Amino acid sequence: MATFDPCAWCEEVLQPYLDRNLTERERVEAQAHLDSCGACAKRYRFEENLRQFVRMAAIEEMDPELKERLASLRTPLL
Amino acid sequence: MGESPETQGRQLANEARDRVRFEEEALQLADQVYRVARRLVHSKEEAEDLMQETYARAFRSWRSYTPGTNLRAWLLRILTNLNIDRGRRQQRAPDTTHLEESDYFLYNRLEDDSHDSFDEERVLQRLSQDDIVDALAAVPHDFRDVIVLVDIGEFSYQEAAQILDIPVGTVMSRLHRGRRILKRHLAEATVGGE
Repeated sequence: MATFDPCAWCEEVLQPYLDRNLTERERVEAQAHLDSCGACAKRYRFEENLRQFVRMAAIEEMDPELKERLASLRTPLL
Repeated sequence: MGESPETQGRQLANEARDRVRFEEEALQLADQVYRVARRLVHSKEEAEDLMQETYARAFRSWRSYTPGTNLRAWLLRILTNLNIDRGRRQQRAPDTTHLEESDYFLYNRLEDDSHDSFDEERVLQRLSQDDIVDALAAVPHDFRDVIVLVDIGEFSYQEAAQILDIPVGTVMSRLHRGRRILKRHLAEATVGGE
């Protein structure tokens, strides 16, 4: 019979954990493992930082000229 | 029997007021909509065209928006539909099963590659903004769309499902696979391919 590997399970639930999409029971279970396992906690911290890094890097603001062009598409007031 | 001129006048005034309010709210969201649009397509010009088409259509069909619902999601629904209609993305996503790695792939590659102490907080500094943008652009569009909506646009799974008109389960599976594909590209950008 396969034994339960909490580190492998933690890897499996990494994304739903960070998306806050685990059930409360699963979240508590994952948290308990993360509190006791430095290797997994380190990987989770990395993933969390990575997401933030990707979000910041991917943001490109629009040109003010485009905003003006969009505003000019409004229906003229009679 | 026709309505009195006063009633008609009041209706027109109310409608004009609602329309102006709608247009103002939609324009206030333009920055946020653009951030998503910019990453859905490859070039800045395409993103700008798409924004203008989206806003032109939104201003024409403002009556079909239900006040009180998520206007940002409504605008992005128009935008993603226009993007598909314009045939920019007719090609199907290639089967990427064989490209997929585990969720820890990037971490493990960076750790293997670091000779001394591995600092998970600082290792990301090896990635430039261009690395991230290029890696994201290299993700097949079906996967990229959900990553852009959820991770950059900060939409919920449900909102992304409504915008793309796909089931929530599909959003989740594409998101999970797409993020792994993204990490594989990022690993290639930092420590090179296999």
